[in-house]
Amino acid sequence: MRTGLLCLLFCLLAGVTRADDGLATLAKQPRWHALLHINPGATLRDRHRSYVDDDNFFLAEHGADDPFAELRASVAALREPGAERCRFPARYRFIATSLGWHDPQPFAHCADYLQWRASVHAKRAVLVFPAAYLNSPSSMFGHTLLRLDQGEDSAVWLSWAVNFGAMTSEQDNSLFYMYRGLAGGYPGQFNLVPYLKKIQEYSHMESRDMWEYSLDLNQAQIDWIIDHLWELKEINFDYYFFDENCSFRLLELIEVARPGTGVLDELRFAELPVNTVRSLDQRGLITERHYRPSKQVELEAFSEGLSADERSLARALADDPGLADSDAFRAYPAERRALMAQTAYRYVRFVHRKEDRSEAVAGQSFALLRLISTLPAVAPPRATGKAPPESGHGSQMIAAAAGQLGGDDFGEFSYRLTYHDLLDNSLGFPEGAQIQGLGLTVRSTESGAPELEELQLVGIRSFSPRDQFAKPLSWYVEGGLERAWAGRRRLVRYLQGGAGASWRYGGWQPYLLASARAENNSEFSEVVTPGGGGEAGMLYHAGRWQWQLSTAGHYFTNDVYRHRSRLAVQYALSQQQGLRAQVEREGWRGGDDTEFKLQWRWYYD
Amino acid sequence: MKKVLLATALLGASFSVQAAAPGGPGCGWGNLLFEGKSGTGMHLLATVFNGSTGNATFGMSSGTNGCDTSGALTYSGESLLSMNGVLEEVAQDAATGNGEALTALSVSMGIQTEDRAQFNALMHQNFAAIFPRQDVSAGEVMQNITALMQKDQTLAKYV
Repeated sequence: MRTGLLCLLFCLLAGVTRADDGLATLAKQPRWHALLHINPGATLRDRHRSYVDDDNFFLAEHGADDPFAELRASVAALREPGAERCRFPARYRFIATSLGWHDPQPFAHCADYLQWRASVHAKRAVLVFPAAYLNSPSSMFGHTLLRLDQGEDSAVWLSWAVNFGAMTSEQDNSLFYMYRGLAGGYPGQFNLVPYLKKIQEYSHMESRDMWEYSLDLNQAQIDWIIDHLWELKEINFDYYFFDENCSFRLLELIEVARPGTGVLDELRFAELPVNTVRSLDQRGLITERHYRPSKQVELEAFSEGLSADERSLARALADDPGLADSDAFRAYPAERRALMAQTAYRYVRFVHRKEDRSEAVAGQSFALLRLISTLPAVAPPRATGKAPPESGHGSQMIAAAAGQLGGDDFGEFSYRLTYHDLLDNSLGFPEGAQIQGLGLTVRSTESGAPELEELQLVGIRSFSPRDQFAKPLSWYVEGGLERAWAGRRRLVRYLQGGAGASWRYGGWQPYLLASARAENNSEFSEVVTPGGGGEAGMLYHAGRWQWQLSTAGHYFTNDVYRHRSRLAVQYALSQQQGLRAQVEREGWRGGDDTEFKLQWRWYYD
Repeated sequence: MKKVLLATALLGASFSVQAAAPGGPGCGWGNLLFEGKSGTGMHLLATVFNGSTGNATFGMSSGTNGCDTSGALTYSGESLLSMNGVLEEVAQDAATGNGEALTALSVSMGIQTEDRAQFNALMHQNFAAIFPRQDVSAGEVMQNITALMQKDQTLAKYV
C-alpha cells in the first residue's frame, strides 16, 4: 500500500517533470521568444527579457522575465476555449501545434477577433520607407512601416499599414516632447490604419517619396504576423528614438514570421530605418522595390514636361481657369492642353494642401477638373532617376586630411556621428539638404601638439529650390566650437542660423541667406557677442562631382568683422568613399589667411 | 513657432507640420475639394516619433469622417469614397481617366480586371454627370456612378 502510494507519487512527479522538460525546450524556441518580444541581445536595455512594458501582455506573474513561466501559464490558460484564447491567437497556434491540440474551430467563441481577422487579411507584406523630405533634413533619419496587401497588385489603397509609434499627449510642449521621445518617456504602440492615410500623410502633406519593398514572406508567415498583431492591440512598449523605434519593432514582427533570419542578432545602439532596409536586403528578404513619387515630385515632372511658354500658361490657368477659353490656350493641341490643365490642377491642390477648404479654391479646382475631363486622357510623365535610400552612404564617417594654412602644414583627423553634408556623395539623398550631428576634427601641425580644430554639435541646412510652382524657404542652423580669428586664431563657441532662398537651374543651385551669429570667445569682452550678416553660394552637381562655392560674413556688435569664402569639390570614389578638396579664405579687419586641404572620407555603418 | 523650430532643430530632430482634425490621429487630410464640412485646424506636432495622439487605431477605423473608431473597415465602394480625401482623388482620376484611386474604387466594387478599362472610360466620359458640383457628397457620387453603370452593358452586372 505504502509502496503503491509512493509509486503513484513518483509516477505523477515524473509525469510532471517530463511535461515540464518538454515545455522547457519549447520555451526556448525562437518563435516563442519572438512572440514574447524577448530581447535576444539586440539592444542594451532589457537584455534577455521582454521589451513589452505592459502587464496585460503576460499571463504569468514574472512572464516578462521568464519565457518558461509564461509558457506554462499560457498552456494552462489557452487549453480551454476562454477569453484568454481570444486575446492570444498566435500563442494559441504556437502551443496547439507544438503540443498537438486539435480543435477544429478554436476561436469560434471570439466574435471580436473573428470580425477583425475577416477585415485584416493579406497576401503580401511590404516594407515601406518614406524618404527624406526637404525642409526637414532630419527626416533623413527616415521611418519605416509595414504594409499588408489584400492581394490586387495595383489596389494598394485598400492595403493596411502597420505602424509603430510613440503615443504622445497633445498637451506636451515641443521641448518636453523631444526629451521624452529621446529618453523613453512615451509608451509605444502598434497601430493599424488604411495605407491610403499614410500615402496622404507622406506623399501629399509632407511631400516625401515612398519606397516600397516587397518582403519574401509566404501566406503562413504573414498570418503569423497578423495573428500576433492582434495580441499587440493596445499593448505598450517603451519607445526610444534611437534604438527601440519603428524600424526595430518591425524587425521583431519579421522575426515572428520567420524566426531565425538573424535580423536581431547583432547588438545595435541605433536602428536607422535605412539600415533596416539594407539588413533585410542583405538577407535576401526583399524581392521587389517600388518607387512612389510624392505629389510634389509628380508636379515637378509635369512642369518639366512643359515648354517655358506652356509652363507660364499653366501657371496662369491655375489662377484663372477661365483662360481655358482664350485663344492662346486653344491654339495648343488637345494633348498639350491636357498636360497644362493637369499641371495647373496639381499646382492648385499642392499649394493649398495644408489649408482649410475655401469655396474659391474648391471652385478653381473643380473648374480645372471639368476642363481636364473634356480633354483626352494622357499618360502622366513619370518621375525617374531617383536612387533608392539604401544606395546612400553610411551614417557615420571618419576622414583624414592634409593641408596648409598660412604656410604651416597640418594633418587632420575627423569623425562624424551622423549623417550627410552638402558635398557628401549625394546618391540616395535629397539634393540641397544637410544634417550633421557631432562632428569632431583634431588637427596637428609641424610646430605643435594635436589640437581640437572643430566640434560641431549640429549643422542643418535645407536649400529647397523655388520655382514657378513652389516658394519654399531655405534655412540653416549650426552650432558648436570652431577656430576663428579673434585677436589670434582661437577656439570659439558659436551658434548661428539664417534663412533665405535658393533656386535650381539644371545642375546649378544658387542660394542667398541672411544670417545671425552669437559667439563666445576669450577675446571678446561680452560673454555673448551677437552679429549679423549673410551668405551667398552656389552648388553644382554633375554625376560623381559635387561643387560648392560660398562666401559668408558677419559683423559683430563690438565692431569686429569677419568673412569666410570657400571653394570645395568632392568626388564620390564609391558609395562609401569620397575625396574632397577645398580652398578656404578667412578674412578679418587687417588680415587674412588661406587654407588648402585634401581630405579622404570614409562612410560606414 | 520660430523658437520651437530652432529648439527642435537644435536637438537634431525633425519637425514637420501635421494637420489633424480634433477627432484624432490621421482624421484630417484637410482642404478637401468636396468634403468641406470637416475643416481641419492646423496644429504643430513633431512627427519624429511617428506617433499618434489619443488612442491608437487598430484596423477598426472608418465612418464618414475617417476618425470614427467603431465598425470594421469594409471598403465597399461607398465607405471608401467617404474616407477623407478619397473623393477628391477619385475625381482627379476620373477627370484624367486613370489612377490608383480609381483602381481602388473599382476593386472595392468587385469589378474584374478585364472590365476596369471600361470603368475608367465611363468615369472619364461622364465626369460632369458624376461630379455635378464642387460640394457634391460621397453618397451622391456613388448614386451617380451606380446609375451610369446600370445603363452600361459591361458594367451593369456589378451593381
